[in-house]
Order: sequence, then structure tokens, then C-alpha cells
Amino acid sequence: MSTKDELLTVSHLEKSFGTHGVLKDISFQVKKGEVVSVIGASGSGKSTMLRCINLLETPTGGEICYHGRDITDPKINVPAYRAKVGMVFQSFNLFHNMTVLENCMVGQIKVAGKKKEEAEEKAMFYLKKVGMDAFINAKPRQLSGGQKQRVAIARALAMEPEILLFDEPTSALDPQMVGEVLEIMKQLAEEGLTMIVVTHEMAFARDISSHVIFMSEGVIEEEGTAEEIFQHPKKEKTKEFLSRFRGLN
Amino acid sequence: MISDMNFGERILYLLQQYGTSYLKGAGTTLLIALVSTAIGCVIGFLVGIVQTIPVDRQRDSLIKRILLKIVKIILKIYVEVFRGTPMIVQAVFIYYGVSQIFGVQLGMWQSAFLIVSINTGAYMAESVRGGIISVDPGQTEGAKAIGMTHFQTMTNVILPQAFRNILPQIGNNLIINIKDTSVLSIISIVDLFFVHKSVAGALYTYFESATIVMLIYLTMTVITSKLLLLWEKKMDGAENYELVDIMGVGTQLGEERKVGL
Repeated sequence: MSTKDELLTVSHLEKSFGTHGVLKDISFQVKKGEVVSVIGASGSGKSTMLRCINLLETPTGGEICYHGRDITDPKINVPAYRAKVGMVFQSFNLFHNMTVLENCMVGQIKVAGKKKEEAEEKAMFYLKKVGMDAFINAKPRQLSGGQKQRVAIARALAMEPEILLFDEPTSALDPQMVGEVLEIMKQLAEEGLTMIVVTHEMAFARDISSHVIFMSEGVIEEEGTAEEIFQHPKKEKTKEFLSRFRGLN
Repeated sequence: MISDMNFGERILYLLQQYGTSYLKGAGTTLLIALVSTAIGCVIGFLVGIVQTIPVDRQRDSLIKRILLKIVKIILKIYVEVFRGTPMIVQAVFIYYGVSQIFGVQLGMWQSAFLIVSINTGAYMAESVRGGIISVDPGQTEGAKAIGMTHFQTMTNVILPQAFRNILPQIGNNLIINIKDTSVLSIISIVDLFFVHKSVAGALYTYFESATIVMLIYLTMTVITSKLLLLWEKKMDGAENYELVDIMGVGTQLGEERKVGL
């Protein structure tokens, strides 16, 4: 049933913390080159869903197939899988004991087994891409939020992931820094990087997504193209959620 | 005669007669304190690292989980026993106990290093555990997300920061050890305190000798804490960083191109 360009297939994913069900019967597919945005109110399970995909949370049911292999299988080599699936966090999560450059090199050297020179070259390439190449000697604590997030994106890109997950990447940023991060993400989307983006930036989701998922109370309430969701939402909940953002349009 | 001298003269007399003995005693004290603190740190790190190994109920085999649990319990007992009993009693217990139970006579020096090391290790284990869990968990997730194993995350990201965080604790332990090696005189280690007891006992110059010894201990600990502060500063690195390409600053993405929403 899976075709060649299907990168990730989530089927009937469930996650509960104790008796509290957070995700119920989540199913969707991500094809190569697609940008999937996940929107919805806080607490609707968006971030938990994303964290399940990277196995930072262990799903309690269902399957997540990556290139046709179920990665919830206990025999899967989790670190090797994670090296292929990058993640950018709301709180940046840079390594505080390393410089900007080292942050972007350590994974390449320790995980991917690359030579130092090669890793440095690649790190510089991606740092240049996010406009942080001047700051390679800085430590994370010396950077602003927007700068940290750009470094975090470069760190993830340096691993050359097949798919990149963004967990509310601009939610912890001051309004004037949101733009610089979104601009980079937009550029990555245009270059054909496969991305899943959990976001509250509706205009951004509308403009770059090839597919939009609206989540509510742990289930996928509605999904479709950006136009379907933002211009012609079918479900009441979707309409109500989006009405709060109408001012942006 | 020493009884005819005043306080200052007696101190001078003691220094002339026993100056080298005091210095040798101080050397012994410092040697035991430094070596044992270093070994204690290694023990502390090993124990702290094992104590914080996460268990994955789904992916770890039952045998691995049981073994880990047993090791963790043993380490917990070790920490509690050596943190919860006085070092002077431990010294007697080990020095005489080992020979009676195992039939091996440990030398004075071996015993001294052993006792202070495992005592320090027990304290450090808790400090290291605290240091590890004080590094924000987000960094662990960041490391996992680029594919690092638990071991790689620890060695590259967490432990260097944990080490920096507990450096003041390590310094504390070193200073405590410089002072507390004095209890080793009970197993006849000729440290600074042992020298004091001998000198004072022979000449009835308790106050004078104690004054000298106090000053020597104080000198050692003050210098130690100053050196440790310097080390901390060095580890923190420069407050500022250099921009590689000054021209690049003005052309940051965020400043040049704003996204219109």
C-alpha cells in the first residue's frame, strides 16, 4: 500500500499518560518534499504527536512507519533513526558547553562518524545559510532567542535529515525575532526539505504548507490543503479556531 | 630552657627544631588530600553516572533492568554507609578489619588513600547526581534528537556541564579532606596533626604548636580555594566572543529581510 515517495506513515497512533489519553487514533502520511503544518489550540496534542514521531515520547498504540518500517518496534535502533529525523525545539536546546560551531559539528562527528574537517565545512555551510556564520565562536548564552533558534536549525540541518520536525519553533521568541526564523523555514520549504511544523503562526502555515492538519482534543479534526483548511474549512471546530486568527488575513 | 621562654620565643624554637617535621607532615596531608580527592571524584562520577542511567521498559531486556537495579541498590548502600559514619571510625574499621577478614595487611598509606577516597567518593556521588540532573533536560532531548546515544549525550553534553556545576563542591571536598586527614593519625599516618601531637606531647607546648599547625592548615586551604576559583573562571571562558566576519553582522537575515505577515 505504500508507494515509493511516502516517507512517513502514521497509523492509529495513540498516546496516553496514565489514564489520560492525549492522542487518539492519529493517522496521516508525509511524502517526500511535503511541508505538513499542524495547527490547533494549546493542549490539543500537537507537540506530543511530534515528539512521538521522534520517539522522545513512546507511543502507547499504533504504528509509525518510516520508509515502510515500524519504528515503534522495540528492536529498532532509535539513535540511528533519530539521526535521520531532525528536530527543532521551542526552547532551542543548544548545548551550552559548546560554541555555535561545535554545536553544529558534534552530531556529525560523534553520530555520523564524519571527519573533523568535513564536519566543519558542512557546519559552516548551514550556519551561513541561517546567517549565523559570523557567530561561530559564540556560546549559546551570548545569543538572542532568534539567533539561538537559527543555530538550532543549522545544527539539525548539518545532520542532513530526510525530514525535519519543528515543535513551535517561534513560540518562545520575541515578536521581532519571529520573522528571521520563519524566513529561514520558508526558504527550506522552497528548497524541497520535507518538514512537519507544529505552529501557531497561521499566516506562515497558510503560505508554505502543502498539507495542513488541524488537531483538537487529541484527534485530527480536519486535514487538507492549505486552501481547503484556511479558505473553506468544513468542520465547526476548525472554523471557530481559525476565526480567532481572521484578523491576520 | 623552654619553660623560661615567652610565647614568641617558643614558637621560634619549635620552628627551628621541628620546622622540617611540620613541613613533611603538611606534605603528607596535602598528598593524601589531593590524591584521594582525585580518586574520590572518579568514584563519585562513576557512581553518579550509573545512578542516572535511564531505564526503558520497552527496549531494555529484563536481565539488563534487574542487573542495573541491583547495582544501583549496592551503590546506594555504599553512599549511605560511607556518608553516614565518621571517617575516623571507617579508618579503624578498614585498617584492622581488612586484615582480620581477608588476612591481608594493608599498609598505612594504602589504607589512608583507600579510606579518604571512598569517603570522598560517597559524598561526590550525590554531588555528581545532583550536577547531572541540574543540566536542563532540554539539552538531553537536543542531543537525542540528533541521534546521540545516552552514553554520547553524557560524555559530550551533560558531564562537562555537570563537572563545571559541581566544581565548587569538589573544592569543598578538597578543603575538607585537607583538614580531615588529621583523623588518620589514628592509624599512625605521620601527617601534620600527628607531628603536632608528637611535638606538643614531648615539650608540653600545646598552644604554641597548635598555633603553628593552625596557620599551616589555613595557608593550605586558603591557597587551595584561591586556585580553585581561578580554575572556575578559566572554565567559564571569556565573557565576550569574537565575530568572525564583522561585515556579516549587518547582513543578518533577520535584519535585512523581514517576513511580511
